[in-house]
Amino acid sequence: MTGLPGRLGAVLALTAAALSVAALASLAPGSPLISKCAGAGLGHAAVMVEHADGSVITRCVSFGTATVTGQALIESSGVAWSGQTFGAYGVAVCAMDSEPLHYTTCPGQDSYWAIFVSRGGGAWQLSSIGISTLTLTDGDAEGFRYVPAAGTPASPPLPAGVCAAASPTAATARQAATPTAAAVLATATTATAAPPATTAATAAATTAATAAATTEASTAPTVVASLLAIAGATTGVAPASSVGPAAAGPSQSPRSGVDPGLLVAALAGGGLGGLALLRLVAARRRAP
Amino acid sequence: MIAEPPTERSPGLAPRAWLIWSLAAVTVALSTDNPVYRGLVALAALNVLLTWLPPGRRVRPLTVALLFAAGLAALINLVAGHTGADVMVRLPSDWPLIGGPLTVESLAYGGVLGLGLAAALLAVAPLSLVLEPHDVVDAMPGPLERTGIAVATSLNLVSGFGRTFTEVSDAQRMRGWRPRGLRSWNEVLVPVVLTAIEDSVRLAEAMEARGFGAGRRTSYAAASRSRRDLAVVGAALGAVGLFIGLRLGGAAVDWYPYPTLYLPPINPALVIGCLALALPSVAMPARVRPPAPAAPRSANG
Repeated sequence: MTGLPGRLGAVLALTAAALSVAALASLAPGSPLISKCAGAGLGHAAVMVEHADGSVITRCVSFGTATVTGQALIESSGVAWSGQTFGAYGVAVCAMDSEPLHYTTCPGQDSYWAIFVSRGGGAWQLSSIGISTLTLTDGDAEGFRYVPAAGTPASPPLPAGVCAAASPTAATARQAATPTAAAVLATATTATAAPPATTAATAAATTAATAAATTEASTAPTVVASLLAIAGATTGVAPASSVGPAAAGPSQSPRSGVDPGLLVAALAGGGLGGLALLRLVAARRRAP
Repeated sequence: MIAEPPTERSPGLAPRAWLIWSLAAVTVALSTDNPVYRGLVALAALNVLLTWLPPGRRVRPLTVALLFAAGLAALINLVAGHTGADVMVRLPSDWPLIGGPLTVESLAYGGVLGLGLAAALLAVAPLSLVLEPHDVVDAMPGPLERTGIAVATSLNLVSGFGRTFTEVSDAQRMRGWRPRGLRSWNEVLVPVVLTAIEDSVRLAEAMEARGFGAGRRTSYAAASRSRRDLAVVGAALGAVGLFIGLRLGGAAVDWYPYPTLYLPPINPALVIGCLALALPSVAMPARVRPPAPAAPRSANG
């Protein structure tokens, strides 16, 4: 039975490899079209759809939970869409509001629906995950734009004002609360320039984190939350943004220092690679 | 039956520890799309293989298989997946399957697929290059032992079938036979099939004469579990548990380069999990020692 484990190993490896490739290549049918009307709820999020001809559809969708997936949001918005699941990526949008009218490949070879997300009224960020994996909270926005396959996709118009009338309190409180960490960073970088102002802003933003919990549920905007929002805005603080894995994506906000994960991975890879190289050289020397 | 004396062998890891380590490494490599983790698993498995590779074993076939599998996966994804923002070349769109833009993102994701295949192959390589055939059978769980032997024996018949085919076709050529259409191959295929059946019957009789199926497979020396085995098994299971736990916990384990490339997210805990798979390369094989005297029991199967 010489060589049997070799064949067993090869069979195991090929089976495992075939399974993984099949899993990655598997495509599931998209979600059915669901139309619902936006209504009152705990949170609100905007949906913006920009067609290739520049026409824009905006919706403000309310939801009753703390977070909502991008897929649930678009389903609730009433905009007709269809998609396909792509393994770990999640659900990609293939067609939206009859654009394209028919398709054979998804994403399209010439154009596709790029997915964007805006956190707390901030700038659009290109999402590197599908709408089934994308989670949004109150005050966020989900954007879609039909863009050419080549080149960096341009973002849709800013979502400001789409949900302004729906939940002014929550949006204001969130804008004040989220920049806490960023505000601290801003303090560190601009402390010599204007210490009193930044210190005040930091303190205000820190307080906002605790205040937000109470103001978010309230129906009337509080003076504290509004002041905190202004303080955050005057220090040039951008709202915090994180889209799961896409936080490390192309549109991420700039970070300071070295990513510890990258450092650990580089050290580990360098160590293992160097060790393997040494062993290869030693094995070659031993060989007759 | 005459029992052969036990041969002198390096006291390495227990076969079952090898099997668990291999399965764990394959699971980790295929449970993530992140090239960093896959690359680390591949490097860890390569170190383990180079550490334990017995003298005289050739790794060239494995290297060729690795390069072929990885290269093919990258190539297929490059020419078949036309998604991504950074276009390298645009093939005419009327070309079936491969027509359209070839993007950097497709190439990168194809590379990740190839890296996964390479890591999986390297993870199972010790089962064929480090262990002896009977070690692999011994490593299987009790209920799967007989099935494993049957499957392995069947696979062994494939190469025998090929040898018989060559021998029979050569003999027929010497008798003046030449291939002329499909029907003429009957003169080769019929003797080949008959020979294969005879070989199978002969093998079954030989296995039965050696006591196959009479009871559990026995060995000269009872398999012992050292601390090194336990450490390797613990590290391997820990790595798998870490990956599955963090995935279920919602951590970003995967990487998907579409629509534009970005740096893969790296979790230091998962990097440490990948490093744990390199533990067998630290647990060096001990010096070859004379085998401990053991009373030979029966040697059926």
